[in-house]
Amino acid sequence: MSDLSVAAARTADVLLRALGGRTVMLRTPASAVPADVTEQLGIATPLFQDLPLAPVAYRKARATVTEGKAAKWEMLVSATTVEGLVGSLAYASASVLFAAAYGVLCGGELLEIVSATQEQVFGRPYVYRLILRAPLAQGV
Amino acid sequence: MQNAKDTFYTMLQGRLAILNPSRTRVLRGVVRPATLVDENELPTAWIPLDAFRLQWTRLQVTSASPLPLVEMECSIQYATDGSSGNGGMDRGRLLAAMDAELATALAAEPHTVAKMNYATAGAGVAPTAMGTNVFWADPVFGAASTVGERMERTATVQVFANQEAGEL
Repeated sequence: MSDLSVAAARTADVLLRALGGRTVMLRTPASAVPADVTEQLGIATPLFQDLPLAPVAYRKARATVTEGKAAKWEMLVSATTVEGLVGSLAYASASVLFAAAYGVLCGGELLEIVSATQEQVFGRPYVYRLILRAPLAQGV
Repeated sequence: MQNAKDTFYTMLQGRLAILNPSRTRVLRGVVRPATLVDENELPTAWIPLDAFRLQWTRLQVTSASPLPLVEMECSIQYATDGSSGNGGMDRGRLLAAMDAELATALAAEPHTVAKMNYATAGAGVAPTAMGTNVFWADPVFGAASTVGERMERTATVQVFANQEAGEL
């Protein structure tokens, strides 16, 4: 691992903390139960686990909210934190972690993950960018 | 009518899985047949491909008899991008294969199945058989549409069941 990529990740962490450095929760469902048809019928629902993501910074990505469409948010997440979660929870990669997640809990509001991308330096991510969608109930 | 919806889904999933056991999807770490009911899954921004997605749309209840007749419309959507190894050039063939699987599953005899109550079912616990049946008409296939590299089609099936006393 290049020293420069480590430095970039640390710099990103410092900048995210300087921009507010909020803590949000990544809500992930538990594994499905094999051979249990009730989960497929909506009778049984999976348990959810909230994983802390910090530091993060986010802003509204869709400035003008059109009628019937929910607001979109852009969230920058520390790559150091994401790598820690991927390693400790044995996910294959960060993209698998975000694909498995149901949403991000920000101040009591659950935002759905629309997409997850990463910025890299010398092959190592230093920040993850999540596009989040607010609940439709909050549309105009 | 929820029991009729559940029964029709499990019947269709079972028949499709027998026709093509390799049509599966991974959901939260578990491999399942690639047939699902949209309203029973976690909301997601992406559409599962090469899978049959059931949506319950129209509903009509005829209450002229002691056992009201419930008529429901089941909309079955499926889409494919083709296989990446073939550069997506086989997407028409893959859509045709899904057409054939769905048509065969719904045309197979019998066109009826005993209505089951899944409310008490669970892992290793069988559902309870009810006193009436669920039956269905032949599917109507809509026109295939193309969005970018994706081909998709929606088929609709009329599903009928009698509402039993005390059934919700």
